[in-house]
Amino acid sequence: MKPPAVAESPRALDVAPDRPPFGSSRLVSLWTAYALTLRQHLHGKRWMVIAGMCVLCAGLVVVVRATAPDVPAIMLEFVFAFLFIPQAILPLLALIYASGIVRDEQEEQTMTYLLIRPIPKWALYSVKLLATLTTTVTLAVLLTFLTYAAVYVGAETGTKDAPFRALQAASIHALAVVAYCCLFGLISLLTKRALVVGILYAALFEGLIANLPFSIRLATVVYYARLIAYRSMTFLVPLPNNPSRTNDLAAEIWQFDPKTDPGLLSHPQTRTCLIVLLAASAACAVIAAILFSIREFHLKTPEKA
Amino acid sequence: MTRTGDMAPIVDFHEVSKWYGNVIGINKLTVRVPAGVTGLLGPNGAGKSTFLQLATGQLYASQGKVRVLGQRVWNNSGINREIGLCPEQDAFYEWMTGWDFVYTSARLAGLSRWAARDATERTLEAVGMTQYQGRAIRGYSKGMRQRTKLAQALVHDPRVLFLDEPLTGTDPLARHDLMTIIQRLGNERKSVVVSSHVLHEVQTLTPNIILLNHGRLVAEGNVRDIRDLIDKHPHQIVLICEEYRKLAARVLSWPDVEGVRVLSQQKGIMVETHKPDAFYGRLPELSLEDGMAIKEVYSEDDSLESVFKYLVNA
Repeated sequence: MKPPAVAESPRALDVAPDRPPFGSSRLVSLWTAYALTLRQHLHGKRWMVIAGMCVLCAGLVVVVRATAPDVPAIMLEFVFAFLFIPQAILPLLALIYASGIVRDEQEEQTMTYLLIRPIPKWALYSVKLLATLTTTVTLAVLLTFLTYAAVYVGAETGTKDAPFRALQAASIHALAVVAYCCLFGLISLLTKRALVVGILYAALFEGLIANLPFSIRLATVVYYARLIAYRSMTFLVPLPNNPSRTNDLAAEIWQFDPKTDPGLLSHPQTRTCLIVLLAASAACAVIAAILFSIREFHLKTPEKA
Repeated sequence: MTRTGDMAPIVDFHEVSKWYGNVIGINKLTVRVPAGVTGLLGPNGAGKSTFLQLATGQLYASQGKVRVLGQRVWNNSGINREIGLCPEQDAFYEWMTGWDFVYTSARLAGLSRWAARDATERTLEAVGMTQYQGRAIRGYSKGMRQRTKLAQALVHDPRVLFLDEPLTGTDPLARHDLMTIIQRLGNERKSVVVSSHVLHEVQTLTPNIILLNHGRLVAEGNVRDIRDLIDKHPHQIVLICEEYRKLAARVLSWPDVEGVRVLSQQKGIMVETHKPDAFYGRLPELSLEDGMAIKEVYSEDDSLESVFKYLVNA
């Protein structure tokens, strides 16, 4: 059968006869996959959710300051930067991005374009996770600084220490979001309902169990983040009826007992907390990379879809 | 029918089966695809896409061995330097421009910046997308999208190219251009495996076909060789003639004619014969002796369609 008649003559195929150099090709491939993932993050609709979170957090601080000017800045800092953000915002932030590491490519059927490249699958997952960590850590740090700005700009007390405390808080939040991302990345490979499972995990473990004075809270990210914060920062709030005395707000709310255990010797040290969080993150990342490398990603044809 | 080429195969399936749970995609398939352009034929659900996903290492074989260029493909990312795939899915990073998409594909394949830029420009030119390369893919027509998909498969200059239904949904102009490109790739001694369920497309591209149905190999080899398989199957030959009723009576008396059907609307007859060569040999006599002016003679069995229908229904 002859091809359909066309007005235009066929163009010459001018593909290079010489194969292009593949010198440091693997690094180039990995870097491109990393950059591509970052660019995908910039184009997703999730930006609206993230922007909403930032506005919500800083906006609530502004509203509280406007309506209750007597509330000490340190109290606002504690409530928003160390209760609201680590327990509500960071898990959600990590969940939104980490659960999409694989799922987004599958749903948009673009996974093929990555799998047919000279990149080992474990490395592909690793760079995509790395890009996700880059995005989420950046957002967590920005959110923290924005919250601190909302708390301390124009405040009467604590402004001198605020930048350093913001830096400390941002570091702790970054560490927590890394752990959350690695965990949720793994969950997304274990279940198709990663969002539901992630939200349940965040609510049950990080929201409820972490606040119970039992050993089970050792299984939560927020417990270690709180310990690091408690050991490296102070959250002493002046008592309303006696400003010369202070209340250890963090110890009270986080269920630490410095009166009977002044050095919190029954709890892990800061270094242990760091090691636990980083090791757990690494373990989740390694397991997820292995799972990714042995998993098939069967794409439905349009006919079957 | 099977074929065992003397040359090393570019794709080698040995006793390969692939199951999706209880559903079988490929069933004990042993086939060796030689260098050059090969058509992978079969109706929808025949296992063509599974074949290509196995060959490109996206799926692992439940049973058997899959090798491309002599190497295993599952979890062997190195082989991907030699492979290009134009997937069937109409999926892209829609926010990218055509140039960006092909350039990113080149970079993902490991090309340096300058090599990727150079290869992108040349490949987009080759598929006729240069003038649209700056537009976002989300605004592309189906033909443009197919050309862009083909460009990303070609940009790193692979040795083996797998094209999964590359002509589906394209307009005649795009179809013709894509066919020309694939033919030229074959002329440049690239190995191309092109899948399709539309037979005339493949017939135009190459005489070498692999025919799949229900995950099994139905036939393999040259279209003409495959036609020999159907010698027992009556050939259908259409004769167009003003005096078609008289013609019908005349040919019905020939011993090698199995039957005649009158095609009133076309003013012709369809003859069924097991000996097409003998039948064609008598036709000149018919015109000379009986003075019947036969305007047109064609055989539906020249079309791969009938070969295909026969083989898959056998």
